[in-house]
Amino acid sequence: MQVFDEVKEIPRAQRIISALWIAFFNAAVATAVFFALIDPMELEPCIPHFPQASRIGAYTIGFLLFWLLTAATSLFTITFLYPGKRS
Amino acid sequence: MDQKVMDRRRDARDREVEKALYARREKIYPREVHGLFAYLRITAVVVLLGIFYGLPWLDWNGQQSVLLDMPNRKFHLFGLTLWPQDFLYLAFLLIIAAFSLFFFTALAGRLWCGYACPQTVWTEVFLWMEQWVEGDRNKRMKLDREPMSWHKFRIKATKQFLWLTFSAFTGFTFVSYFSPQDELFQRLMSLQLGPWESFWMFFYGLATYGNAGYLREQVCKYMCPYARFQSAMFDKDTLIISYDAKRGEPRGPRKRSANPRELGLGDCIDCTMCVQVCPTGIDIRDGLQYECIGCAACIDICDEVMEKMGYPKGLIRYTTQNAIEGKQTHLIRPRMIVYGLLLLGMMVALGYAVATRNPIGLDVLRDRNSLFREVGAGLIENVYTLKVMNMDDRPHEYRVTAEGLPELQVLTDRPTFTVRSGEVVEVPVRLRVPEDALGSRRADVTFILQSVDAPELQTSEESRFLGPMP
Ligand code: SF4
Ligand code: SF4
Repeated sequence: MQVFDEVKEIPRAQRIISALWIAFFNAAVATAVFFALIDPMELEPCIPHFPQASRIGAYTIGFLLFWLLTAATSLFTITFLYPGKRS
Repeated sequence: MDQKVMDRRRDARDREVEKALYARREKIYPREVHGLFAYLRITAVVVLLGIFYGLPWLDWNGQQSVLLDMPNRKFHLFGLTLWPQDFLYLAFLLIIAAFSLFFFTALAGRLWCGYACPQTVWTEVFLWMEQWVEGDRNKRMKLDREPMSWHKFRIKATKQFLWLTFSAFTGFTFVSYFSPQDELFQRLMSLQLGPWESFWMFFYGLATYGNAGYLREQVCKYMCPYARFQSAMFDKDTLIISYDAKRGEPRGPRKRSANPRELGLGDCIDCTMCVQVCPTGIDIRDGLQYECIGCAACIDICDEVMEKMGYPKGLIRYTTQNAIEGKQTHLIRPRMIVYGLLLLGMMVALGYAVATRNPIGLDVLRDRNSLFREVGAGLIENVYTLKVMNMDDRPHEYRVTAEGLPELQVLTDRPTFTVRSGEVVEVPVRLRVPEDALGSRRADVTFILQSVDAPELQTSEESRFLGPMP
């Protein structure tokens, strides 16, 4: 039933998009949990050069950082799944 | 299984994969369908999108009914105000949503995909606009084959204009769940949107435009995690959409007046209508495929064909694996009972937790610097800091009392104090007890916090009172 059940059979562009999308999903969850526990306004005094941003700005930056992290992880994983080019 | 069979199967699959990869993605032009399930889907689309676009405009007790007010860190849900401390409710809600999905998937397959998934719902609306501007399936295909001309440009530009406007409105609606809608609207009109608001509007609008206008079925095929997990929730009693091969084969064209049995034919007239309506471009007659989103468009169209031919409906229909194999279908089965009970239990628990939720919070911290003080006249004093949290959506005035020891005195600079909605206030409190009333080195005391203006709001918290060795 599943045509693409081996990772290597999935075209590159699709692999990258799925990695980004799943990363997006996880980043959203992580952001929600993180900012439910921590108010970015309380972080301000703790971090030097903390950007003067609104809360929405802080959430957005937090989300983008999380996304960067999760996306990097999945992208590295799908890259390293293959030791090299199969010729 | 024997090695040769497995090898052969793998080869066949590899060939299929290669075919799928080297064939460019063909644009799919779903044909319009009418019928029972199309009607159900239109209803679902109208209701769901009505809720999505309408809710931000709906007020509840003078407050936007659903507002996840991120800038002020509070969620308003129909008169209930939730703070970050209430995060658990939200997590619970998400778990319940996930379990409902399991439950309904096990019961009726991809109901979610066919009728409720935002991807389906928005794609449907984008398709309506496309059909409205460009015409039916044949016209759309013809238009796309034509070279660019003024005529074609005008049609495409109209469609893009509709799509973009709709996406922009969608982006605005999305952000107005997070930032009060009326102010947002005013800022939008006076072009004074903040950078972050603009970013999210643009982001969500673009995602809608791309997903519903262009990616469409590819989202379901390649991006959707649910599509990949769903097979784990399926069993032989799950409702699926299936072609009745026993009845349909051998397929073939014939005259309306002909008796198929005499021609040695089954009921499928091989009109390929079911393929033309399929939004994911598959042929349901090849059997259950993971691309099938269960939209039932092929049921509607095939029923129409059967009716025209004067055959009974249901050549393609909702059925179960067991029914196809001629076995009994079990609606109630262990999996359903387990999912159902879990779901019910969680809903009851959440309902109870929300109903009995106490909108005031009290934390008692003992002074760390001194265990106790003797303040003369045989009195022992302990110092505390109370943290009072008001999670109601209006301010309240509070009073603190304490009990647990005879002749207990409560001293504070602020006998009553006001805490605004969502605020935490620290109140220093001293307790005094005559040494002989204490009787031991330590005793338990209970602080009671009560609202003066709404006496039903009350909570208590235990702490310790320390004294010298008796
Ligand atoms: S719509 Fe019905 S009759 Fe026509 S090809 Fe499909 S299954 Fe056969
Ligand atoms: S096969 Fe039928 S139910 Fe499945 S996606 Fe295509 S039209 Fe919808």
